[in-house]
Amino acid sequence: MRVAIDPAKCMGHGICYALAPNVFEDDDQGYGHVIGDGQVPQEQAEAARNGAANCPEGAISVTE
Amino acid sequence: MTTDALPKVCTDDLPMPEARDDAWHQLDKHPLVEVEDGYAVTRRDVVELVLKNPSLFSSKRAFDVLASPVPLVPIAFDPPEQTRYRRILQPFFSPRMIKPLEPDLRRQVVDLIEPIARRGQCDFIAEVAAVFPIQVFLTLFGLPLDMRDQFIEWKDAVLNLSAAAGQTSVDEAAQEGMQKALELFMYLTDLIQKRRGAPGDDVLSQVLSIEPPDALSDEEAVGLCFLFVLAGLDTVMDALGFGMQRLAENPDKRQEIVNDPSLIPAAMEELLRLDPPAPFVPRVSTQEVTVAGHTLPEGTRITNYLAVANRDERQFPNPYDIDFHRTENRHVSFGMGVHRCLGSHLARLEMAVLYEEWHKRIPNYHITPGTTPRVHWPRGTVGLDSLHLTIEAGDRT
Repeated sequence: MRVAIDPAKCMGHGICYALAPNVFEDDDQGYGHVIGDGQVPQEQAEAARNGAANCPEGAISVTE
Repeated sequence: MTTDALPKVCTDDLPMPEARDDAWHQLDKHPLVEVEDGYAVTRRDVVELVLKNPSLFSSKRAFDVLASPVPLVPIAFDPPEQTRYRRILQPFFSPRMIKPLEPDLRRQVVDLIEPIARRGQCDFIAEVAAVFPIQVFLTLFGLPLDMRDQFIEWKDAVLNLSAAAGQTSVDEAAQEGMQKALELFMYLTDLIQKRRGAPGDDVLSQVLSIEPPDALSDEEAVGLCFLFVLAGLDTVMDALGFGMQRLAENPDKRQEIVNDPSLIPAAMEELLRLDPPAPFVPRVSTQEVTVAGHTLPEGTRITNYLAVANRDERQFPNPYDIDFHRTENRHVSFGMGVHRCLGSHLARLEMAVLYEEWHKRIPNYHITPGTTPRVHWPRGTVGLDSLHLTIEAGDRT
């Protein structure tokens, strides 16, 4: 499973890194970023899906 | 393109004071509703379209009508000016900057709650919800907490002034409001001068120490402070008041967060979904636009009704139920798009520490019999005038 954040859509709500802190992280502006190369380990898959599903801007894509 | 007649709602007549769920329900039948000052958009996907297209739906033109003595940075601007302001200001309100405030805010909230736990009753609005956000503002701006009552007076005057914007008669109250707004303006101008001369470690000093070309002018800095006062104080007060009212009225839901405090972040989002304190986000069309199949001319006032969009059943199953276990809760109470609430991380921290510390000490409470929490209405923001709570005997410390 892979995740990606579209930086043009991310507005820094901070939901993804609050719900899935091992998958997403914040920067100085509060925008979300994917930790590492976007490949999500199995044990983080549910958290990653949860973070993506709750993004108010729909900025996170998930490829299973 | 449809030519159906749009439903028309007189919002002043909505049963907001004592039945706000019913009030929102009256608006949720159609994605576009005609209201007194233009049109309301009420579905989440249409709200998304409006808020994500700032070149078609201008925030600047919507906030031009507010008789503000200073430019409200950044809400009264559109991209690209707004983009610059956001880039400059956003780091100061990011989770990295806000999180370190937590221990201090937690201490402050405990100091407010403990006397109430001993006494056994309170007006939650006057004694907690109105006071705490002002203390946070004073902490953030490096001002002494004994300025609290002065700021409450100034803030109420400025908010009443903006609520009255558009009314033509200048009565005595409006003149007094103008006088108080002027006092606040002078105080902030003087404070900015002082902080430029002798910076502290507060957020205002840091904003003022930004180097050119991003440096803010005095006028811009006063505008930012004004916006903080307008957007950052009563909103948190109102959200907390509504949240505590729902928890008081629904002991089974309250028990869930008492039993499992790790549920508080999700509970907080659900309470925010149901009761956005700033539920009307206005925009003005910059050209002819098509919204929900209807063509609207340039210059039309289009207001996003966030509380109705948050009850869109296509997005939120059983939208009128309180459910702390929603797997998806993409509510728009902080707005979305380029103007997403700058203070959302601070607001969430304030609310989370309050819900946590309160329920640790006071798990059982109810609305004091003989009192009725009422929403002030009509008004541009919604909130309770009072919330009298009685703490159940076993919980008194």
